[in-house]
Amino acid sequence: MGILVNKDSKVIVQGMTGREGASHSRAMKEFGTQVVAGVTPGKGGMDFEGWPIYNSVAEAKKATGANVSIIFVPPAGAADAVLEAAHAGIPLVILITEGVPTVDMMKAVQEVKLLDAQSREAGGEGVRLIGGNCPGLVTNGEAKVGIMPNKIYTKPGRIGLISRSGTLTYEAAKLLNDAGMGTSTTVGIGGDPVIGTTFADVLPMFEADDGTDAIVVIGEIGGADEEAAAEYIKNNMKKPVVAFISGRSAPAGKRMGHAGAIIMGNVGTPESKLAAFKDANVPVADTMPEIIDLVKAALNK
Amino acid sequence: MKLHEYQGKEILRQFGVNVQEGRVATTPDEVRQIARDYGDAVVVKAQVHVGGRGKAGGVKFSPTPDKAFENGEKILGMDIKGLTVNKVLVTKAVDIDAGVEYYIGMIVDRNVQSFTLMASAEGGVDIEEVAAETPEKIVHYRVDPVTGLRPYEARAVAIQAGFKGNLNKIADMMVKLSQAALERDAVLVEINPLFVDASGTPLALDTKFEIDDNAMYRHKDLADWRELEAEHPLEIEASKYGFAYVKLDDGNVGVLGNGAGIVMTSLDVVNRAGAKPANFLDIGGGAKAEIVYNAVKLVSKDTDVKAIFINIFGGITRADEVAKGVIQALKDGILTKPVRMRIAGTAEEEAKALLAEVNSPLIQMFPNMFDAAAEAAKEANK
Repeated sequence: MGILVNKDSKVIVQGMTGREGASHSRAMKEFGTQVVAGVTPGKGGMDFEGWPIYNSVAEAKKATGANVSIIFVPPAGAADAVLEAAHAGIPLVILITEGVPTVDMMKAVQEVKLLDAQSREAGGEGVRLIGGNCPGLVTNGEAKVGIMPNKIYTKPGRIGLISRSGTLTYEAAKLLNDAGMGTSTTVGIGGDPVIGTTFADVLPMFEADDGTDAIVVIGEIGGADEEAAAEYIKNNMKKPVVAFISGRSAPAGKRMGHAGAIIMGNVGTPESKLAAFKDANVPVADTMPEIIDLVKAALNK
Repeated sequence: MKLHEYQGKEILRQFGVNVQEGRVATTPDEVRQIARDYGDAVVVKAQVHVGGRGKAGGVKFSPTPDKAFENGEKILGMDIKGLTVNKVLVTKAVDIDAGVEYYIGMIVDRNVQSFTLMASAEGGVDIEEVAAETPEKIVHYRVDPVTGLRPYEARAVAIQAGFKGNLNKIADMMVKLSQAALERDAVLVEINPLFVDASGTPLALDTKFEIDDNAMYRHKDLADWRELEAEHPLEIEASKYGFAYVKLDDGNVGVLGNGAGIVMTSLDVVNRAGAKPANFLDIGGGAKAEIVYNAVKLVSKDTDVKAIFINIFGGITRADEVAKGVIQALKDGILTKPVRMRIAGTAEEEAKALLAEVNSPLIQMFPNMFDAAAEAAKEANK
């Protein structure tokens, strides 16, 4: 169970023959993911470590029936790669690339949303973009479409995880794993200011998933995604949610690595996020290990 | 990349925005000459990348060329929040009382996944204060990233914000501001004050312009505008190595880790341990020993740093590579301050073995981030 990807997902890798694309294709295969092909324009027809390479996503999809694409294309071409996949009818597109210009992402995200609406109106399954600048996603025990270390996912469980930060996703997944709880699906949504999928988009999927009992949300300063998530939880969620917010001591106005992790005025402050979660009855952990205690407490209620 | 006021104005001018005339000077004599050329009162404005330069005495009205010279002398070389003023912008003074001051700005807005146009009749003041105290006085409008702002939308926003004057001209300025933001990959661009004179004509008196660093590759003409002397020296060095680095005030613990999220959390942990982080340094993913070595070198150069806290969760990054980098820094005599680190994940055992071999009291490894941070805090507060 879990959401978005599972053992039946057929994955293509855009940029498979590049350094990152190659090493993560291997790691995903080791995890057990059905990686079916690669896409590298100009290298179509090549055999890459047993995988066929195609010149376009459309060709790869036609030949393999792929329904997920993961993108390792360099920043200048990354948004274009997203649009290629979306227009080829791939319903789930995951953009790993870091450093994509924000204006490119604005245009791509808007177009993907339009395609999504058109597809749904026509009775199709829609199009979803996750990322960019994200670690991807893992349904523990089934499939990984991302760059997370395989060895932190040894115990499939029933806790859903959504995070803006790559490293903290690993940290939280390992804590849940070590605590014997394990995870259902981990979704890294990315820390950039403009991303395809937000916390509030993922929460309803977990709410509807029979394989998930509770959800952990790892947020950070900047933006108002956490506040929007809290609002959604307050009005719609029956399953318990536990939160953590990174960067609570960071000074205002300074960009903390993630382009989105910046406090502007009174928007995106730790105080506004804490207040929003409090209002939604979502306990917020002060430290990462405390997440485990809060999840246990929430499940025992 | 943050642009100076004169640079931001130059871009806006290229997009057809009516910008107040001005020229840059680096000596008081040049300031006087510009004032003479204008034959009128001028304003001498420090060009530094900090807010609140007016309050710090970096903006001065000068009724005569001699007064302009005097103000140039005062402002050039001045220290504003740790940065030296090397350039001033000399602009023709405007009789503010003969018109009204508004605010318009475009900002990347995560919540609408595009730019938001902001407009307020409360111009000429710190807009963040307006946002905090009277948010209803700012109109917010999502701009379509593909089409940009259309004139009819701009007019509607101007009307809603309560702007008076020539609506078509004001809307036209807003449209051009939107074009500049989209085509020049702005993160933020503001015109404040936007001065509207008695005839209703808008004029940009001051601007803030910041460009998306990720898009600099397609603005090579602007890369030459980067003035390294206007940035913190350690931040310049960090950018050479490709680190995300931020110098923090009043800190004593150097903080480095792999990934923005873990470094932010590390800052929180150091604070909880009773010390203050002196910096934020993200070495990125998959760092080899050499990168770690450079990171340690950079943080060690900061005289505020009394101890270093390294927090690594190795996925792609190998713990033994991190250990090798730190050990090499010790061997080369670069590392003279205690390093307390937590390295989990890939090749953790190999890292432990390497450190045991060196056996230096300066480097200690801990099984969790809290103990490592607590020890670093203890060392820093000694």
